[in-house]
Amino acid sequence: MLRMVSLLAGAGVASLVATPALAERGTDGVVNILSWQAPSIMNPYLSGGEKDTDAASLVLEPLASYDENGELFPRLAAEIPTVENGGVAKDLKSITWKLKPGLKWSDGTTVTAKDVVFTANYCMDPKGGCAALARFQGVDKVEALDDLTVKVTFKELTVVPYTLFVAMWSPIIQAKQFADCLGTKAPTCTEANFYPVGTGPFVVANFKPNDAVQLKANPNYRDPNKPAFAGVNFKGGGDALGAARAVLQTSEYDYAGMLQVAPDVLSKMEKGGKGKLLSVFGTNVETLFMNLTDPSASLPPEERSTDKHPHPILSDVRVRQALSMALDRARLSEIGYGSMGKPTCDFVPAPPIFAAGNTECLKQDIPGAVKLLDEAGWKPGPDGIREKDSKKLKLTFVTTTNATRNQFQAIIKQWWHEIGVDVELRSLDASVFFSSDPSSPDTYQKFYADVQMWTNYSDAPDPGEYVATYTCNKAPLPDKQWQGSNVPRYCDTNYDALVKELGKTAAIEKRAEIVKKLNTILSDSYAIMPLVWRSSVSATSKTLGGYVGSGDSRFWNAQDWYRRK
Amino acid sequence: MLNYAIRRLLMAVPTLFLISLMIFSLLKLAPGDPLSQLPLTIPPEVREKMRAALGVDEPLIVQYLLWLKQFFVIEPLRGFDILFGTHLSDGMQRIISWQTRGPVFSMIAERLPQTLLVVGLAYIVGVLIAVPIGIVSAYKQYSVFDQIGTFLSMLGLAVPPFFSGVLAILIFAVYLDWLPTIYNTNLIVNSWSNFTEQFLQMAMPVMVLAVQTIASISRYLRSSMLDNLEQDYVRTARAKGMGENVVVFIHVLRNSMIPVVTVITLGLPSVFGGAIVTEQIFRVNGIGQLLITAIYANDVPTVQTLAFIFAVLIVVFNLIADLLYGVLDPRIRYD
Amino acid sequence: MEVSDLQTVFWSRRTRIYAANGVSFHLNRGELLGVVGESGSGKSVTMMSLLRLLPSPPAEIVSGRVRLGDRDLLSLDPSEMRKVRGGEVGFIFQDPMTSLNPVFTVGYQLMEPLRKHLGLGRSEARKRAIELLSRVGIPSPQDRINDYPHQFSGGMCQRVMIAIALACDPKVLIADEPTTALDVTIQAQILELVQKLRQEMGMSVIWITHDLGVVAGIADRVMVMYGGLVVECAAADDLYANPRHPYTRALLETVPRADMAGQERLKSVGGQPPHLTVFPTSCPFAPRCPHAFDRCRSERPPLMPVGEGHDAACWWDVIEGSPRDDV
Repeated sequence: MLRMVSLLAGAGVASLVATPALAERGTDGVVNILSWQAPSIMNPYLSGGEKDTDAASLVLEPLASYDENGELFPRLAAEIPTVENGGVAKDLKSITWKLKPGLKWSDGTTVTAKDVVFTANYCMDPKGGCAALARFQGVDKVEALDDLTVKVTFKELTVVPYTLFVAMWSPIIQAKQFADCLGTKAPTCTEANFYPVGTGPFVVANFKPNDAVQLKANPNYRDPNKPAFAGVNFKGGGDALGAARAVLQTSEYDYAGMLQVAPDVLSKMEKGGKGKLLSVFGTNVETLFMNLTDPSASLPPEERSTDKHPHPILSDVRVRQALSMALDRARLSEIGYGSMGKPTCDFVPAPPIFAAGNTECLKQDIPGAVKLLDEAGWKPGPDGIREKDSKKLKLTFVTTTNATRNQFQAIIKQWWHEIGVDVELRSLDASVFFSSDPSSPDTYQKFYADVQMWTNYSDAPDPGEYVATYTCNKAPLPDKQWQGSNVPRYCDTNYDALVKELGKTAAIEKRAEIVKKLNTILSDSYAIMPLVWRSSVSATSKTLGGYVGSGDSRFWNAQDWYRRK
Repeated sequence: MLNYAIRRLLMAVPTLFLISLMIFSLLKLAPGDPLSQLPLTIPPEVREKMRAALGVDEPLIVQYLLWLKQFFVIEPLRGFDILFGTHLSDGMQRIISWQTRGPVFSMIAERLPQTLLVVGLAYIVGVLIAVPIGIVSAYKQYSVFDQIGTFLSMLGLAVPPFFSGVLAILIFAVYLDWLPTIYNTNLIVNSWSNFTEQFLQMAMPVMVLAVQTIASISRYLRSSMLDNLEQDYVRTARAKGMGENVVVFIHVLRNSMIPVVTVITLGLPSVFGGAIVTEQIFRVNGIGQLLITAIYANDVPTVQTLAFIFAVLIVVFNLIADLLYGVLDPRIRYD
Repeated sequence: MEVSDLQTVFWSRRTRIYAANGVSFHLNRGELLGVVGESGSGKSVTMMSLLRLLPSPPAEIVSGRVRLGDRDLLSLDPSEMRKVRGGEVGFIFQDPMTSLNPVFTVGYQLMEPLRKHLGLGRSEARKRAIELLSRVGIPSPQDRINDYPHQFSGGMCQRVMIAIALACDPKVLIADEPTTALDVTIQAQILELVQKLRQEMGMSVIWITHDLGVVAGIADRVMVMYGGLVVECAAADDLYANPRHPYTRALLETVPRADMAGQERLKSVGGQPPHLTVFPTSCPFAPRCPHAFDRCRSERPPLMPVGEGHDAACWWDVIEGSPRDDV
């Protein structure tokens, strides 16, 4: 079971230290948030995109959230249910949540267990297109035991029961407001989707999709002295560089997030002294994915890039290892991300308890790589490119169009060229690459290339779901419309068995041990090559007090923000 | 002329239908997925359900016909309802954006004011400045004024707004700290201080956009003026003893404005279309920004509706330009 | 009206064109002076210079005096000059279709000088405009006054131009090849009209043409120009009967006559007209002249009296068949 620290007390202490004791609700004016990607909807169940779920977290709250250390703390729940306190059944087949008594919606009505049950029904309606549906999978029934008690029963043993109603992706919505918005009617409830009634510190006053959102303090927020700000002005549009400028140079705004800007530019701006940068390391890892199946265009479409044909070059682990050894991850990290990235060998870099902390891949070893390729039978040809059985060692390397990624491509091509590997580079628009359109030949899941580079991440601190993405049955196949998270088509029965074992293991130390083992198995297979652990960079003005980045939402503690005088 | 206008409008109907079909097919043929911006952590089977909820998987002809019905029946009914307080469109499915799940027309209505204000004002300011520059440049051809004007217009045409916009931000916002870089679309002008704020936040985008209008319209007017200054009727007017003001501002300008007015009219649809780059830089978030974010997000209903509205505007303003030509030039008659 | 030593130069980037090189002549009250010459002989430039109608730059009037009554037109300030134009001196041009502004009604264009020079009000100007239109022979003028130039034929346009030129009862009418662009029957009508109006209004007329035949019937005196200079000037009958300059003689031979035998070919003046890029210091006609001799190539002949009211600029005496040695 996850180590659970109720942060209620902790947060209280933090806010006592940070906020002057006489702080009252709405006395600090308006806080200005700039997001170059503006929210387009305030209902996270219909979007799932970070820009929308983050904004919605100011209004809608789940039963429990993750704090900046990745630990659960109760929001609407009175406490985090555990086996110890009896909230989680001994057989790990059900969880019972107790609501804090006296909770009010922003319209003044009382929050009851019925709202929680309704939320489950809303998302689990198969026609509703709910983005958080995966969090509700395996749920047998959700029932209200009384006005304040909700019991979730799972079909099977569930070791991490904190999926539904936990974190910003799965907040509680008001039954009254969304009563007529079930199923196919979900998208048509514009009023409810733009102006949800919530329990969070703010309520939407004016919503202009993809442009600006104005929020005001929730008059019925459970802590009468919070939030200190009377309102939030949430503005979108423009680009990341302009957003950084508005906080760090012109100080028009208090906060700007998702600043994917060249590191030297950002640090130069920060030197102006008008604001500061904050790098938060989540689980984002920029990774190379090797195609273990043959993407050759000469194969019939139902067999191309499937396990029917192993990759003629990359199915040899020595070749993959050589490719990995030729990389200098520290240099890539320095060039592309500066202090906002760290070189890594782990695809699960955090939370610390789960991170394997492997380092052997960090050292570049060109001679070693050359030796491995020689051993694998790839001999240098007349033009310096290696050959075997008159076949050239040539790879196609695809990523999305993006300055940092394209720079990485060029550098990696150089290194691989040094060990006699010819590389053809391609870059695709992100909306095409990440499309799930089965008729498009260019999607990352179809993988009609040899090597791909993109960032993978886990959306929960517990990596149980995340490590399961690389099991054999998750490989994209034509009869699954090319849907599947195991993009490299990696398949190892040992790995699958360990994942299964993890699904039955509840003890946190045991789980961590298994995850580390899984991480090492996958790293040693060189089917995926983690390169850089990327942080999410945001900028705050000097006068914004109390900002703590990265719980599950970037605005998870907005109720504690205040204006520094 | 009325007959001519009606005939032209009727002829436009099949054209517009064809355009709508082409826009629709192009959007459908283009690669991309409305869900491609969602986190990779959302599993494929959930994505499949979300796609189904958006109606992406309906047969294409059904999607197209549904859009036609929504655009030509439901949305006009809705407009009628708003104007006359009726309830004809209640319960009918309006055109819904895939990104926001909100009606596309509400978003357009929300964004049109700032686009018209900023882009429209820039157009007006641009034309008002361009006309005197064009006249003086032509009348004093090859003078210092004309040379400077020519150089600056070349610069104005050659420097793209993504450069001039950022340059303006660096000068006026970062170094001088005079102007805001971010346009507040929620600002309500009801007092003098609000008005000043509105003025300041519009200054940079209007400036950046007006430079382009000034450059092109003044060049156009200059060459048109030069053509006309050489005409025999100018000599006649002078031989009649008319003053230079009358010669230039009445005889020559009236003739020179005919093609320029046409160019100005044909440029008007772009005022409604917004300015994609400039709106992005200053976060004006008008129609241009709506279009570009919708394109990025593969929000087909929004892109389709906007593109079609632009097509209608272009057809209509072409007609207006033709009719204006007839009004301004007595030699042209539509009978 | 008296013009003396009028010199006009056009400046371009590299070169100068000497278009009028010291033109002197006079115009008596009520007379019709025909001005004849090839294209580029400087006749139009001279007449436009009188009213300072040439755009400057490139044109510059270097020297000269144009006396009208007791004033020198070349030294008037711009606003007084404008009073002369259209007020005291009317001007009609070669191409009537392009000489009228296409976007204003003929009435508007006709009323413009009336309101400016005579200070007439709207309705008075309109009345007078209708009167003028009917005077130049435009049928139903009260309707046509609201028409645009493109609704008129070429001949009718030229009538409108004449009406505009004569609107303010000018002392002088300058007609710059007014019939060249019109077909022959219309030409005759216009000639007749100008003759008639001249008699009615008693003004002087300068009639520029390249066609000696056109002026033969109507001119009192004829002035022949060549290379920006006046080469011969005489009473019309005298000039036709007794041309004293070789260029005039050559020009007269190019005019078809009714008594010409059918087989006889029309003659032309041999050679090319001069390039006016340098100020003429010799006789500009010398290269094409059958009688040219040394003096013609070294010294420019001034306009010399060769008979009663008859001047010519030539060192050769065609009557004697020998060089003039008396000057």
